[in-house]
Amino acid sequence: MARTLRSVLLFALLVSLHYGVRPLVTWRVAPDFLVIALLLAAVRLRPGASAVLGLVIGFAADALAPGAFGAAALSFTVVGFAASWLKAVFFADNVAINAVFFFLGKWAADLIFVIAERRLGGLEWITQVAVWSPLSAAVTAVVGVAILVVAKPLLEAPGS
Amino acid sequence: MARAARSDSRVDTALFVACLALAAFALILPPSLRDPAASALRRSIVAPLVALQTTAERGRTALLTHEALTRERDSLALTVQRQAMLERENERLRRMLGLAADVKWGFVSAEALQGRGPGDDYTIALTAGAAAGIRPFSPVVSPDGLVGMVLSTDPGLSLAIVWAHPDFRVSAMSAEGGAFGIVKAHGGTGASRWLLEMSGVPFRQQLKPGARIVSSGLGGTYPRGIPVGTVIEELKTAEGYARSYLLRPAVTPTDLSSVMVLLPPRVKAGVDGLWAPTTADAVSRAGQQLRDSLAKAAPAAAPGPAEPAASATTPAAPTPGTSATGRDSVRPPSGAP
Repeated sequence: MARTLRSVLLFALLVSLHYGVRPLVTWRVAPDFLVIALLLAAVRLRPGASAVLGLVIGFAADALAPGAFGAAALSFTVVGFAASWLKAVFFADNVAINAVFFFLGKWAADLIFVIAERRLGGLEWITQVAVWSPLSAAVTAVVGVAILVVAKPLLEAPGS
Repeated sequence: MARAARSDSRVDTALFVACLALAAFALILPPSLRDPAASALRRSIVAPLVALQTTAERGRTALLTHEALTRERDSLALTVQRQAMLERENERLRRMLGLAADVKWGFVSAEALQGRGPGDDYTIALTAGAAAGIRPFSPVVSPDGLVGMVLSTDPGLSLAIVWAHPDFRVSAMSAEGGAFGIVKAHGGTGASRWLLEMSGVPFRQQLKPGARIVSSGLGGTYPRGIPVGTVIEELKTAEGYARSYLLRPAVTPTDLSSVMVLLPPRVKAGVDGLWAPTTADAVSRAGQQLRDSLAKAAPAAAPGPAEPAASATTPAAPTPGTSATGRDSVRPPSGAP
């Protein structure tokens, strides 16, 4: 129970970081704390619940960018469901695998978002998918692994 | 057990499909429905996140603009500081113009360039030299009174000693003309270094604190009537036949920026009465008249030297920028000595 509470608090903290810290980053490439929060939660949830969580997070993100309302919900739903379904494969005690998991999760979310959004086209679309999204995914992976390392003792502490 | 697992899997799949359907439905919503839905979310469950993001955006803006704001604030503070300096400078120049209007001819206006090194307290460089008619021993004056004396000249620059110089001497008298003496730098250390001392005053002539001391005109270097200082107190000396007085100088060397050098013909003609206590009124009047005349930009004829100062000084007053070497201020008018 205590571990669940700590997980919820960590999830809330990551969501807060996304809206409280990310705007301070002036670079185009910034870590996506929503994806990190979703992936960390998906490991502890069933795929269906992860999909619902992804949908909720996605709608929250879409509410602030209503031009593509539903795109983030779609991408986070898919990523949450897939992450939860693949948790048996990934999230071993291996930093590199976890980093790849974060990287792929963010990249896939961006890819689905860009496709669903249907705003970009041509060279701009390719640049976004092949340059900016991988860079953003790499930063997200680094930050995600760092958070995982810091939060792991907290999440696995006795008392659950 | 296997049935339960299959059931859970079906529930997960159903939830996933439902979520996908909801997201896809949101994607195809027309703007008329999509915007109210997004707005409702922003005003309800997303409101705390919106507030958080707003705060973060403000922080980011503050971070980005901090440096520029600091630069602007510093520039503004500097401008405000300069404004006070400009006001003081403006006041000094107005008074200088007023004095120039009173003196009328036989002088050269110059900027005083003060050194910042040790030993530079006693001398000033003037931005006018022999080419403007300045000669060694020419008196240097300001609207407040006597500044010093030109020591040497170059074609475009002069070097002058101020009254604080150890070699400075001026024959002086009380403004009423009752007591005569020699004024020199008081010397010493600390604040007293910037005071004057009037010695050799006959014992029978006593000066009260606050008495004005002006140059006497004896000796030929300084014309009569230039303010030198004000009596502070009598100094105790061993001399039994003469008195010495401590004076507060009329001119503070550190405040000097613009000065006037009196040329030999003007020294010979005298400047008596130009620094009389009523001069301040005349200066104010002359300054006002000068401003009025400049505003009207009306050409005016130069007055003769015999006309009253208050009414005739304005047209002859040199304008800033031309007075430093302006020949009108150097050449005596017809009838002048």
